[in-house]
Amino acid sequence: MATTAAMTLNSDLMTGALSASASTTMMKAGTSADGLDQMRMGYNKVPTGTSFDLLDATAAGIDKATKVYICNESTDETYYVTIVIDAKTIGRLYGGDWMFIPWNQDDATHDLEITATGGTNNITWICFHEGETLGTQAD
Amino acid sequence: MAISATISLTSAEGDLTSSALSLTAAASLTKAGLSTALASTTGLAKTNFTNNPIQSKAIYRSDDAAANGANKVYLKNMSTTPAEYFTVFIDQEEMGRLYAGDWAFFPWTATSGTKETFRILIANTWAAGDTWEFDGVQIVAADSTVANIATQIDAEEFPNWTTVRSTAYVTFTAREARDAGTVVTATADIAVDTAGDGDSVVDNAAMGTATESDIIVVPSVVTTMDLEHMLFYE
Repeated sequence: MATTAAMTLNSDLMTGALSASASTTMMKAGTSADGLDQMRMGYNKVPTGTSFDLLDATAAGIDKATKVYICNESTDETYYVTIVIDAKTIGRLYGGDWMFIPWNQDDATHDLEITATGGTNNITWICFHEGETLGTQAD
Repeated sequence: MAISATISLTSAEGDLTSSALSLTAAASLTKAGLSTALASTTGLAKTNFTNNPIQSKAIYRSDDAAANGANKVYLKNMSTTPAEYFTVFIDQEEMGRLYAGDWAFFPWTATSGTKETFRILIANTWAAGDTWEFDGVQIVAADSTVANIATQIDAEEFPNWTTVRSTAYVTFTAREARDAGTVVTATADIAVDTAGDGDSVVDNAAMGTATESDIIVVPSVVTTMDLEHMLFYE
């Protein structure tokens, strides 16, 4: 058994019901028996005006099945954080929105970056992974 | 109108840590900066990948959604073979790998390019029965009046272009934004066969530019793989 990620989508946009559900047990890359067994998590108040590295890419994350969850806990719907991977904008996560993505740290610049707009955004995040390169103690 | 998206992350006691972990978040998918719901969706779709050699597919093009909208994308790898994965790209930037059964849900900034346009002028002497052909579409002039011939052209449905007519001018706009390099549609690309000196001169053209945020998916194997996907967009 390992960590599971389940989601449901429901909509009344169509004349008929439109819904989708998905559930996955988060496994290491290419396996069905060995779950992702490490994680990092945090809660940050992200001020406006600066792009921050929310998660630094590490060599141990190359071609792995890393998953990242981010939720913008801001209650003001005009607030948002822009999610960027290696200078490519993924999208804007508005107050109340969440996202769940695979993240391949395929080179050292493949950091997951975040920039707040509107005001200080409150962010919850979790990175599920199968190993990371820890920094060596420097002082 | 309402769209809800709920996620539950669960780890039982002793799995990831010695204590159980559980997290649930629910979002109402609304337009950018507003509390009104997103109003458009592609609906739930399934795309099959069976290509040898492996070929990528653009699942959603940036033209499909507003650049700064609160668009949301759902992707799921329907494979049951653990080693099979889809690599997800935004334009040319890799996001990550979706292994068998994995899913993703994320906001999407759909930065589009611009669409190539050009304008033709139906001019000089035409006669009933003369032909005009472009983009695989041929029209046969019903009479000799240039404005009427322009109207005939505008009435056609072109595979790769939309049209707008004004007097004897017809303006063509590409259906999709793309960068065609240095090539722009020219007079020579249009085949005209007239009894007189009728012509169809391109008098105005502008290059297109490439989109920057297409969602492109690449399967890991040449055997059949299926991707489930849906887009909510502005």
